[in-house]
Amino acid sequence: MLEGGKINAWQAVFLNVIMVSATALLGAPAIMASQAGHDAWMSALLATTLGLPIAWITIKLGSLYPGQTLIQYLERILGRWPGKALGLLYLLYFTHITSLMVMEYGSFLVDVFLIGTPITAIVLISITISAYILKLGLEVLARTNQFFFPWILVSLVITFLLVIPEMDLTRLQPVLETGPAEIFKGSLAPLAWHGEIIAFAMIIPFLTKPGQAGKIVALTFIFLGLIFFLLVAIGLTVFGPGLANMNYPILNVARVISLATFFERPEPLIVAVWVTGGLIKVSFFYYIIVLGSAQLLRLKSYRPLVLPVGAILAALSITVSASTLAMSDFIAHYWPFYALFTFEFGFPAALLAIALIRNRGIKGQ
Amino acid sequence: MMKKLVCLLLILGLTVPLEGCWSRREINELAIVLAAGVDSAPDGEILLTVQIARPSSFGGGESGRSGVAGPQQNNLWVISQAGETVYDAQRRLETKVSRNLYWGHTVILVFGEQIARQGIRKAFNFFTRSPGARETIWVLVARGDAKEVLNSHSQLETTSAQGIGAMIRAGVGIPVMLKDLSLMLAGKGINPVLPRVELTASGTPQGPGMKENIPEAENEPDHGTQTHAEMTITGAGVFNDERLVGWLDMMETSGLLWLAGRMKKAEITFPSPNEPGKDFSACIYRSITKIEPFYDGQNIWFDIKMRMDAELWEEQSLEKITEPRIFTAMEESLTRRVEQISRAVLEKAQQDYEVDIFGFGDVWHRKYPRQWPALKDRWNEEFANADVYISVQVHIRRTGLTTNRVSRED
Repeated sequence: MLEGGKINAWQAVFLNVIMVSATALLGAPAIMASQAGHDAWMSALLATTLGLPIAWITIKLGSLYPGQTLIQYLERILGRWPGKALGLLYLLYFTHITSLMVMEYGSFLVDVFLIGTPITAIVLISITISAYILKLGLEVLARTNQFFFPWILVSLVITFLLVIPEMDLTRLQPVLETGPAEIFKGSLAPLAWHGEIIAFAMIIPFLTKPGQAGKIVALTFIFLGLIFFLLVAIGLTVFGPGLANMNYPILNVARVISLATFFERPEPLIVAVWVTGGLIKVSFFYYIIVLGSAQLLRLKSYRPLVLPVGAILAALSITVSASTLAMSDFIAHYWPFYALFTFEFGFPAALLAIALIRNRGIKGQ
Repeated sequence: MMKKLVCLLLILGLTVPLEGCWSRREINELAIVLAAGVDSAPDGEILLTVQIARPSSFGGGESGRSGVAGPQQNNLWVISQAGETVYDAQRRLETKVSRNLYWGHTVILVFGEQIARQGIRKAFNFFTRSPGARETIWVLVARGDAKEVLNSHSQLETTSAQGIGAMIRAGVGIPVMLKDLSLMLAGKGINPVLPRVELTASGTPQGPGMKENIPEAENEPDHGTQTHAEMTITGAGVFNDERLVGWLDMMETSGLLWLAGRMKKAEITFPSPNEPGKDFSACIYRSITKIEPFYDGQNIWFDIKMRMDAELWEEQSLEKITEPRIFTAMEESLTRRVEQISRAVLEKAQQDYEVDIFGFGDVWHRKYPRQWPALKDRWNEEFANADVYISVQVHIRRTGLTTNRVSRED
């Protein structure tokens, strides 16, 4: 067994929520609003709903091959070499999006708070911390997250409560003005975020009770639905459709908070959420790459891979995109199709179909 | 042994991040900009004027603004610089200012009249884009040059920028933040209105060690001119999209706020119903405006209902307001006055300026989303031709410490 640790159900829920939503906290509302205007809150709800099938596929595959991760049962479903090839593609895909996450993570800090600091410094520090967490294993990652998760949630809730005086519900009217097509387009990017739940397939075997995976995902989606909906609804009621042109709209939301002129500038809350949540998210995907590679190569331990993969991620994160504008353009317009048609929905759905047919064949004999 | 050594080295290594980081900015290396002014300069350039705080002369103590006579200190430095863009001007300022300009505490942004007439879009993007400046900066338009207005200090506050900021926050004029301005410029259903500032002669500072300002003292050698000019809010500037097209006075500004449903508190004076030439004054402390748009495919009209509560503060006449009949007449007079003021600003917006400054377009848009796209590009014309029916109801809920005036003969 490559991973000796076990995580319980709540740890898995928290991990899943952060694994999906951490990087969506600041930028996603703008991407939704740029398509769906002031109806973007419906895009958020739609995305959560449309994400459910992906979650169901993830769970179903996990239950067909208990005790195995995505990379392992790929070989069972497709045969040895095709399975390994697709496994490699999955690992490359995870590497790609993880390097984007690292870039996003560093860009925000460099753009807004650590102006003048080289992004390399932030990337190296965060990758180093992640590597340390990985060396200690999944259990430590889950517990770290369990420790930070309540604070992330509390910080968000405080921000949302404090900004209530700045909200104007009429900014959501007229409802449904943009039309269903735009609302659907607006839901694609958040749907791709929800689709990251496929990464959960890599840790289902390490649950104390793998049978609870369904409940875990259901709870995760309740959290995600609330988070995505609140983020965009609050952004819209504060800024209206002007949200679409902001890089980090939720930061702007926090910046307009002013209670009686003495309680102002609570952006550190947002920074805390970003720094902790983003780090956990990066660590989680980093872990999956390392674990998946070890399983693909049938290694006895994944630990020798931690540093090399970290170096690759750090280097890629700096070159993966030429500018923050190019990065957000990619996330908004290309990534949803790229991810949904292939690794998040397309491949898993095909895999499930093949698996079900093969299983029926086995039973038939 | 080896392990201990490594641990020791690691602990020593921890001191490296403790000492701070590069690109840190200490407060004594910053030039804190409290107010920014933007004017137009020759050749299409922008003239940026900044009010920079000199914190060393701020907080009380022996050298500060303690009332005791002492050399008066300048706590502000006002400096201007032309540039292609605001950022360019700021960059060029760095050749004159020894510290980095810091925008995080900027209280006000003032547009000069000339650049406001040419269009303000090109002048404020820097303030929303740069992470240093806040979207809660108060935006104003100057009568004349912003540069002149910023060349001022405040008698009560540390700086004139903070003085104006405090006034706007207290509800004088029409408060507009940078984020509000961006939103108003983003849609077609509303046009911006910014509070107008100018310097006005504002009293004569007095204090021990200062000469009294009496005619007899005029010939004394150390009798300076003591008239003080203070930054004053004197109304509002009306914009058609990004261009300044005209002004409103303070009373019209109140009317605008009532019609748009944005008023919090307002003082109002109205004629006595029975004794010509005598007035009442009241303070409207609660006001609810309902705007109902209508459209029959051809004509657009609006029903506006305003419900207000007021408290009476002054009575010049001798009327017995405890008599229900007179009290009602007084309330009616107040109602008529509110209606008159609202109608005046409405007519000015519809006939003189032909711009929708009330946000009626947004309200109309919410009710008629399908018809809006066809109309939105000529909304201001439609607004100018729209009929607006105003109905006002004001109730006086409180009368202060007395009922009828105490000095009244019974």
